[in-house]
Amino acid sequence: MMPIWTKSGKKHAVTLLKVQDCHVLRYISKEESGGKTSKLLVGGKNGSPFFKSEAAMEIFKEAGVPPKQKVTTFNVTDDAIIKPGTPLYAAHFRPGQFVDVTAKTIGKGFQGVMKRWGFKGQPASHGQTKTHRRPGAISTNKAGKVYRGKKMPGKMGNIYRTSFGLKVWRINTKHDIIYVNGSVPGHANCLVKVKDSKLPTYKDCNKNPPFPTFFADGDENLPEDLYDEEIFQFTDPSVTYA
Amino acid sequence: CRISSDGKPAKFQPPPKPVIIDKQKQREEKRFLSPEFIPPRGRIDPLKLFLERKDMIQRRKVFNIPEFYVGHILAVTTADPYANNKTNRFVGICIQRGGKGLGATFVLRNVIEDQGVEICYELYSPRIQAIEVLKLEKRLDDNLMYLRDALPEYSTFDMNMKPVSHLDHEEIPVNKLQVRMKPKPWSKRWERPKYNVKGIKFELPEGKMREAQKWSQPWLEFDMMREYDTSKIEEKIWKEVSEELKK
Repeated sequence: MMPIWTKSGKKHAVTLLKVQDCHVLRYISKEESGGKTSKLLVGGKNGSPFFKSEAAMEIFKEAGVPPKQKVTTFNVTDDAIIKPGTPLYAAHFRPGQFVDVTAKTIGKGFQGVMKRWGFKGQPASHGQTKTHRRPGAISTNKAGKVYRGKKMPGKMGNIYRTSFGLKVWRINTKHDIIYVNGSVPGHANCLVKVKDSKLPTYKDCNKNPPFPTFFADGDENLPEDLYDEEIFQFTDPSVTYA
Repeated sequence: CRISSDGKPAKFQPPPKPVIIDKQKQREEKRFLSPEFIPPRGRIDPLKLFLERKDMIQRRKVFNIPEFYVGHILAVTTADPYANNKTNRFVGICIQRGGKGLGATFVLRNVIEDQGVEICYELYSPRIQAIEVLKLEKRLDDNLMYLRDALPEYSTFDMNMKPVSHLDHEEIPVNKLQVRMKPKPWSKRWERPKYNVKGIKFELPEGKMREAQKWSQPWLEFDMMREYDTSKIEEKIWKEVSEELKK
């Protein structure tokens, strides 16, 4: 994570996400998947071919692509279908866009109720016998049972969570890096899924994004760094208030 | 010609060779790498550090950040939307330099009208308009936080102080000042060996000093897991940074 300053002098914290060897693996049509839209399987970061099922290896072989560590599905409309085997780059996103980032949170193992659910526990003294971090009562007398989903100790973390509506501040096309506002679930250097935001406030935010995706062998020659309009670039002189 | 004690003419002694002290070379040998370039210990992707360094060098090309240590007296002008001239000038002694990369900070302390004021500035913030070093002076410690509990005279500096001239090739002088403290209680127990403070004149009784030594951890300096040798990393980064800055 890094600080970033706007032209008005405000500081924001930014997370760097690297797009490492992403390829489109397979196209699943609407009828085949049974959903409302067709799907595209996308694979990230190259990994070892061992410890992967035969079915997974077949998909990679079909697409003509080295085996990937993470495979995700994206729901796509029919006009955004991409041929399997095309590489995806960071320039697919543009600065000023809003994005949702999904990843597995940091695993904390088996945790008690105070850390996992934020219960208050019991006082440290004044006669408490062996009860300082326990949940206390778990149900009422009238219910006669414990409801499903009762908050209790258990394994915490290591589940998929999403942070919504993160602004993209800057894109580095040479190293394929996306600078995304705020923090992102997961530990450092973990695998992450980045999607266009589903929030209704940012529905009309993308003005002319590269559609269906950014092709590297196309005619566009993008500069090495793409900045949002409000970012203070370090080549400018210091900020002054007129 | 000179007559030696023997009476015979003395053998010709050539004059001693002049010793040329090349000031240019001395200046080049003195390398200073700002501490925020040195990466902290940990599993951080070198690409991230490289991109951060690129941004830092980019900023340094446009805005000059002088070489300074803890103990120097600096004057910083920042852009302030609520001030009269839209600028704000603050003079103070640097008590701490923290943070790595773009978020590097330094804290300046001064006593204005009997009120101690500390301001933490970010080195790479675009609001900073100028940093001038008024007095170059290293102190015995890396961290002068104990000035909060010292007598206020040691932290007062004139806001309109004139910069003290300093020649480029001379070494930065170390001020071996031993500071006198206010009576206890202090914000931190500075007599304890964990702070390793050398710049205080402790006027505490012998018993208290001996009791403070009970918290000493003499095994720490021999702990091999805590060793972090930065000499090679520093050299590589110094080469990279100096090449980029010369362009």
